[in-house]
Amino acid sequence: MRSALMIAALLLPLSPCLAQVAVTPEPAAPTEGVQSDISTREISIQSNFTGIEILIFGSVDYSTTPEPEKAVHDVIMVVRGPSQPMVVRRKERVAGLWVNGEERVFPTVPGFYTVLSSRPFRAIASAETLKELGVGFTNINLGLDAAGDPIEQTFRSSLIRLKQRAGLFQEHDDGVTFIGRSLFRGTVALPVNVPVGLYVVDVYLFRDGELLSRNQSTLKVNKVGFERLVYLLAFRYPFLYGLIAVLIAVAGGLVAWAVFRRE
Amino acid sequence: MFQIYLPVAEISVNLLVMLGLGATVGFLSGMFGVGGGFLLTPLLMFSGVPPAIAVATGANQIVATSVSGALAQWRRGNIDIKMGWVLIAGGVVGALAGTLLLKVLREAGQAGLIISLTYVLFLGVIGALMLVESLRAMRRARAGKPVRARRAAQHNWVHGLPFKMRFPDSRLYISAIPPLVIGAVVGLLAAFLGVGGGFIMVPAMIYLLRMPTNIVIGTSMFQIIFVTAVVTMLHATLNQTLDVVLAALLVLGGVIGGQFGVRAGQKLKGEQLRALLALMVLAVAIRLLFDLVLRPADLFSIAPIAAGA
Repeated sequence: MRSALMIAALLLPLSPCLAQVAVTPEPAAPTEGVQSDISTREISIQSNFTGIEILIFGSVDYSTTPEPEKAVHDVIMVVRGPSQPMVVRRKERVAGLWVNGEERVFPTVPGFYTVLSSRPFRAIASAETLKELGVGFTNINLGLDAAGDPIEQTFRSSLIRLKQRAGLFQEHDDGVTFIGRSLFRGTVALPVNVPVGLYVVDVYLFRDGELLSRNQSTLKVNKVGFERLVYLLAFRYPFLYGLIAVLIAVAGGLVAWAVFRRE
Repeated sequence: MFQIYLPVAEISVNLLVMLGLGATVGFLSGMFGVGGGFLLTPLLMFSGVPPAIAVATGANQIVATSVSGALAQWRRGNIDIKMGWVLIAGGVVGALAGTLLLKVLREAGQAGLIISLTYVLFLGVIGALMLVESLRAMRRARAGKPVRARRAAQHNWVHGLPFKMRFPDSRLYISAIPPLVIGAVVGLLAAFLGVGGGFIMVPAMIYLLRMPTNIVIGTSMFQIIFVTAVVTMLHATLNQTLDVVLAALLVLGGVIGGQFGVRAGQKLKGEQLRALLALMVLAVAIRLLFDLVLRPADLFSIAPIAAGA
């Protein structure tokens, strides 16, 4: 009996007819879960870095999807880069000149934020769930609750718009694709200006608007080689950095004088 | 292709464009015998480099230009070293003030505005004066009248001040206060605008200090080396706005362009040269003014806040 079931399980992908027979006698199916990982754990930024595409992939354990075309699951992926405080300024006209006027500080702005979903994420889960999970531009926690203030709302949406324009905030409604019954994948383009630090990738599995399972993985973005050296010098050893800059300029001037001088 | 990421400016620029920018400004400064900082900093701002970084990096590039210029002058014995040190002493104080001023303005989000406005003012006035003067000189040359000789050295109020010092190379016995003040003003401009300040220092040395004209250029270049070097260090340490990659590109382009500029300059007449430079200076001033007056494409801007601030 047991061996017969095993054979049936092995044949399962081949014959839908047999699969029906094999699945039916199974006692209470184990709960569905999600596993995920990223194509790379570490990204090294060198001077020739022009951006990179990473692949986030995963699978649904004990998928109940009857056949690939009739997916019952939804997947949302959220990629968050290290956050930092940012100031948003609005130009105002003062005496004929456009001058930075009113400003708002947002204490925790993620340096990178991307949402990928298997279909429009607002259709996947309720507004409350999305808010709780911080899914979607409107639900990012920027450290300043702007809900009640229309002016702060304007500043908030401008910040998001500018981040979006720089490719640092992205929303892709069809960014996650299912392959077969349980495998899924999504790609994220990290632009040239990605901040360095630890990135957290959250993958959420939904069925009928209910969060079934979640999985988290991390990604490190580092500067290496010359880029790292310059960055370290500039921000940790600024005196040495300035001295090097002056020496380069002095050397440039000396060389120019020595090579091109005419007596 | 040739895109290079500037680690401090945090923007991606084209390597060839930045080399070309350095070369163009170097060419112009070689041709006209000016430092070129007052063209370089606005041009960097036009290419999307944040104003504070354009200023610091521009100052760094001027170190290179003034080293090769000062060496050439020094070999001809055209530097009053003692006067130079007094000007430098004032310059360092001014540089510190300018750097701190820029830091305060940057944190208030007004650095770009004030830098642009100061440039519009300076470039507008200097460009207009140069244009008028060179047009007059051209008209006189056409009329066949001789160019007016410089007035003989006279004593003015400057010579009544205390703390007198002897400057043998300049054949002067004057108070140390005026060169200190001139040095300080130049240092302030260098730190705040990313210019060498020769355009202020040279006339001041001739008309206020009454230094002999042949050693004015060399002495000003001598001062500019040290003051722009100090400005570079101050911006690197206090504001962290120096981008060494950008600076290196500009230095490289600048030294090459400069040499061709010197040769091109020798083929043009002085008045025409000055009129041409005046027109360029005015064009930059007008462009800067337009950017301030026209409604920007996006009213909002974002900037990170330094962890320490």
